[in-house]
Amino acid sequence: MATTTAAVTLTSDLLSDNMSVSATTTCMKAGTTADGLDQMEYGYVDVATGDEFDLIATTPTASKASKLYLKNHSTDETYYIAVTQNAQAIGRLYGGDWMFIPADFHDAAGDIAITANGGTNKICYALFHEGTALLQT
Amino acid sequence: MATTCTVSISSDIAPGFGGINETMTLTQAGTLTDIDSTTGFAIRKLAATGAVDLVTMASELVEPKDSVASKIYIRNIGYRGVTDKSVGVTIGVNAEPIGKLYGGDWMMMPLTCIDADDVTVNPDTNDTVVIEYVMFYEEA
Repeated sequence: MATTTAAVTLTSDLLSDNMSVSATTTCMKAGTTADGLDQMEYGYVDVATGDEFDLIATTPTASKASKLYLKNHSTDETYYIAVTQNAQAIGRLYGGDWMFIPADFHDAAGDIAITANGGTNKICYALFHEGTALLQT
Repeated sequence: MATTCTVSISSDIAPGFGGINETMTLTQAGTLTDIDSTTGFAIRKLAATGAVDLVTMASELVEPKDSVASKIYIRNIGYRGVTDKSVGVTIGVNAEPIGKLYGGDWMMMPLTCIDADDVTVNPDTNDTVVIEYVMFYEEA
């Protein structure tokens, strides 16, 4: 079984006592306890300002257990990408920000799309999944 | 004041993949100033299918600023120490399903904090499951 683990450590001193949360999960196929995600895409792209682009070119099998990591590696903190899923705005990733979500590619329109702002943004992404509909030439 | 979040991903799916280790400091939009508002750490116990709000933007005691650098951390922690990888809770924004958190799974994502863009949770089953979360945002 392929094994993919994702760990997070979140700390904050905004409260009267420091908050620290740590969690680790093993990324499994949907609805299973014994079979891990076994396919992935990993990329790094420059995205010019202006147009919206689909980040994932192929459509992972719908409504499965895909996990998407996305980071804005721009060093200018004023640069950001606006992230949408199926045209629904999720939020913005400014230079240095990352996100990690269970992406639900429920249909062909459920793609993750990004729009760069401020300048050319440098984006790293990794998609862990259990199958895609490959584009036929 | 600082809020930081580190992700570490390891995988043996692709030979040669060296893993991911990244840390971000949560800052206010377009600046290096630390983010300064939070909902605090909270849990929500669910025991029935059907989407309910985890965060209702218009009902926050302090109005979050729209379309900036807000983030939310959410984790499915199961119930009474037992997590089930075979069932999940669908996380949504403004009724759009973002994805499903199976037992033990976590997510960290940006938010618009626009009033319509509430964060919703919808369990697969009527079994009790607990979601923990914390949102960081800027005051409007």
